[in-house]
Amino acid sequence: MRDRRSWHGLLLLAPALLTLGALTLYPTVWVLWLSLQRRVPIFDVHRFEGIGNYAFLATDPRFWKAAQVTVLFTIASVALEAVGGVLTALALRGQRWGSRVALSLLLLAWALPSVVTAKLFEWLYNPAVGLINFVLGGLPLNWLGDPRLALPGLILADVWRTMPFVTLLCYARLLAIPAEIYEAAQLDGAGAVATLTRVTLPLLRRILLIAVLFRTLDAVRSFDLMFVLTGGGPAGTTETLTVYAYRSLFQAVQLGLGSAVGVVVFALVMLTAWAYLRALRSEGIVA
Amino acid sequence: MKLCRSACWLTLVIGLVLIVAACAAPPDGQGPVTLVLKHAKILGPVDPIPRLLAQFEAEHPGIRVKAEVLPWTSDEQRQFLVINLEGGRPGFDVMMLDCIWVPEFARAGWLLDMTPRLARDELADDFPAAVEAGTWDQRTWALPWFMNVGLLYYRADLLRRYHFDPPATHAEMLEQIRVIRAGERNSKLEGYLWQGKQYEGLVVNVLEGLWAAGTSLLDEHDRVFPDAGRAEAVLRELRQLIDTGASPAWVTAADEESTRRPFGNGEAIFLRSWPYAADLFERSGSPVQGKVGLAPLPRDDPRRPAPGSTGGAHLAVTRQTRHPAEAFALARFLTSAPAQRAMTASGATKPTIMSLYHDPELVRLSPSLPRIHDLTLAGRSRPVTPYYVMISTTLQPELSAALVGVKTPERSVVDSRRRLDFFLRGLRE
Amino acid sequence: MRPVSPLGRLRDGLVLVGFALYATPFLWQLLTAFKPEAELMVLPPLLPTRLTWEHFRAVLDQSVMLRALVNSLGVGAITTALALAFGLFGAYGLTRYPIPGKGLLLLLVVGGTAFPQIATVSPLYLLLRALGLRDTWLALILANTSFALPLVIWLLTGFLQEVPAQLEEAAAVDGASRPRAFRWIVLPLLAPGLASAALLTFLFSWNEFLFAYTFTATEASRTVPVALALFPGVFEVPWGDIAAASMLASVPPVVLVIMLQRYLVRGLLGGALRE
Repeated sequence: MRDRRSWHGLLLLAPALLTLGALTLYPTVWVLWLSLQRRVPIFDVHRFEGIGNYAFLATDPRFWKAAQVTVLFTIASVALEAVGGVLTALALRGQRWGSRVALSLLLLAWALPSVVTAKLFEWLYNPAVGLINFVLGGLPLNWLGDPRLALPGLILADVWRTMPFVTLLCYARLLAIPAEIYEAAQLDGAGAVATLTRVTLPLLRRILLIAVLFRTLDAVRSFDLMFVLTGGGPAGTTETLTVYAYRSLFQAVQLGLGSAVGVVVFALVMLTAWAYLRALRSEGIVA
Repeated sequence: MKLCRSACWLTLVIGLVLIVAACAAPPDGQGPVTLVLKHAKILGPVDPIPRLLAQFEAEHPGIRVKAEVLPWTSDEQRQFLVINLEGGRPGFDVMMLDCIWVPEFARAGWLLDMTPRLARDELADDFPAAVEAGTWDQRTWALPWFMNVGLLYYRADLLRRYHFDPPATHAEMLEQIRVIRAGERNSKLEGYLWQGKQYEGLVVNVLEGLWAAGTSLLDEHDRVFPDAGRAEAVLRELRQLIDTGASPAWVTAADEESTRRPFGNGEAIFLRSWPYAADLFERSGSPVQGKVGLAPLPRDDPRRPAPGSTGGAHLAVTRQTRHPAEAFALARFLTSAPAQRAMTASGATKPTIMSLYHDPELVRLSPSLPRIHDLTLAGRSRPVTPYYVMISTTLQPELSAALVGVKTPERSVVDSRRRLDFFLRGLRE
Repeated sequence: MRPVSPLGRLRDGLVLVGFALYATPFLWQLLTAFKPEAELMVLPPLLPTRLTWEHFRAVLDQSVMLRALVNSLGVGAITTALALAFGLFGAYGLTRYPIPGKGLLLLLVVGGTAFPQIATVSPLYLLLRALGLRDTWLALILANTSFALPLVIWLLTGFLQEVPAQLEEAAAVDGASRPRAFRWIVLPLLAPGLASAALLTFLFSWNEFLFAYTFTATEASRTVPVALALFPGVFEVPWGDIAAASMLASVPPVVLVIMLQRYLVRGLLGGALRE
């Protein structure tokens, strides 16, 4: 009986497993295999190379620059989103009316396709008639053309787009805190600041860590925004590992090298996820 | 049994979904012989293509031509073509190629060999550089369609005012800029505009600099920057143009259009660009009408010429086309002298057929045509190798980094060579 | 209920203004879409003298955007249906049946949500090319489904765990077969969870760019994000037209998110909070 039921279960799971197996697992193994090859479809080159691609990457300044940009982008984005998310969630929580409208205004940014956001900010950053330079008093800042400004500009766009996610999670958690806790804190004589730091923030900690986990993984894999907004320029100052991988794959058509960079991104994501989960587990958050 | 029912439902759902999805895929083309032509939008006041195609259809009953526009930038066009041709079923028959793509596409086996279909000396009246660009492995793979050459535009009125002739050397040009700007006392007047954005145009500008310095991009062994020292010097000079203010800082993000407009508004003394701009400057209402002169690019050494880079487009036929004869007829028609004349008259393109540059009607419409002819003849084509695009796209970020100051010229040259050695190593073994 | 003081109202109003300011980038693009061409490249003034539909007309006249909208809708709808169907059956199997190694399977599936698309795009490209599926809806549907499935399974597993198995057992005692119990008891209870999963999947599919950019070549299968990224310009970048196209591209996701906020929250929380 149990075996038959196991069979039934597997049968129900089969379509999903087959799809994932064919379209996710199999390509993952394949990309590893590709990364060990020299493969240039245009010129019919198809050879086993061993770790040649990785050896090249190890001493490739463009690769390390891309890694640096990825790390910088991730840390800055996630940090700003976390802080901003908590603040906006607290602001929302304190609303007596209009909170649904406020949340909708925030979710607007999150709902937009990343390409729309990229075009939006490209227009905002226009040196001559962009709104941002106008608001800054007419400074002719060349946001997307200046190697010092492009990355901050990109980070700003990404934070604008994804902070609402953190806000939403924190806000939902705040709503779930029973009023009695605050009443108890008030009875104990806690002021607003103390309530915030001793009561609210610790309760938010768990969801914040989970939100930061999700956001970090997303930021490391992020591609759309930087590709459409700056294309990785100027001079590679916004070229993350994903953009570098894509350019190697489909512009230089070096499938072997591009796959190697893709494998590195994959390893980075998995490593980050593993590290976070271990941290979360030790905090008793994850079973 | 109960499970069979569930399984049946599941299969039905999946089957339905897949059927709907398959039906939603685009249908194949149907009808009489329909050729698909992919071309980039032709800049200029009027689009000459529709009329030409109508004429072709009238002369060839039974053939319909569907023209589709390629994406806007050259990179996107190439990516589109590569992805489609590589996939094996391109869905188009005749395509417009930038001349630098022809050897690569030919080597990849995507183009129809035109050599057996061409009459002897059929291309004799085209510019040799154009014919050479369409040739690979001693066979012809594409027909020249229109021609470009890099040249120097200058404000003849300003130079005349200060008794200057068009500059022969870089040093002269810088001196002229200094004097004119000091004399005009117009802070908005820029000196020398050129294309420094991270794209093919940057490689062209650097290439012209390398040629002026007496070196080249590739040697006979396809080694890049054979003379590293001079390559670094060229990059340093370009950077200095910006540092000394001879060129504005925004040239590092400028392409053809973003440099043509300021010059056309009278805001610059010199501009390096392509022939298409000449007619735009002479349009009625243009602030610089009658004030623009054309000259060869300034050289470094008075004894050595500084050729402009030639460019342009070709028409090729895909190897997998189902109607090779008809497709070739279309390509031949569009690149013939009458068609090129129509395109030159109504568009902003310049022909590849040399005799057209002295055609009275065309010269009347565009008086600078003979001058452009001479400049084109003196021009030099970019390396005609299947690896050119790979080399160029690899160089672009490195050159841009040197220009913008993120890397030193030495570092850029070293990194470029290292990268290209790695890529080319696998290709030539 | 705390009394609402005038100061409180002021504070609420200010916060609301703050949130409205947050939406400024979007509102600026919305305004740009209606600004006449002549007034686009001049700033100040901020506001146009009149509003115009010319950009929308220009965008809709060229059939590319319209076709892209159709493609996105079709691909999105089918992806959602497929991901939901496979995901629901899979989640049901995982929660209600004693599948050997189900803990590991669930872990793998959940791990699948962390997959970087850039890693699988090259093999998928080769695979789709070999199958001759380039430039078809099916290619995008398959690619999108592969990435939406882990999330859907994860979500629905959570929601299913909240539906006690005893309900179905009670129905079995009453003589109802498993499928009947599923259809009439579990499914209605699961409806909010399904709505959340469907919303998230459709949003993901609509916004998806990397695969769409790589696997589509012509207007036949190009989706909205790709059409927007490849927006043609003749001499200069047509900012007004791009703004109009951006607005058209944003309507479905924005409308869905705002109207179905509740399900969005449930969906995001369902995934995040169950640890």
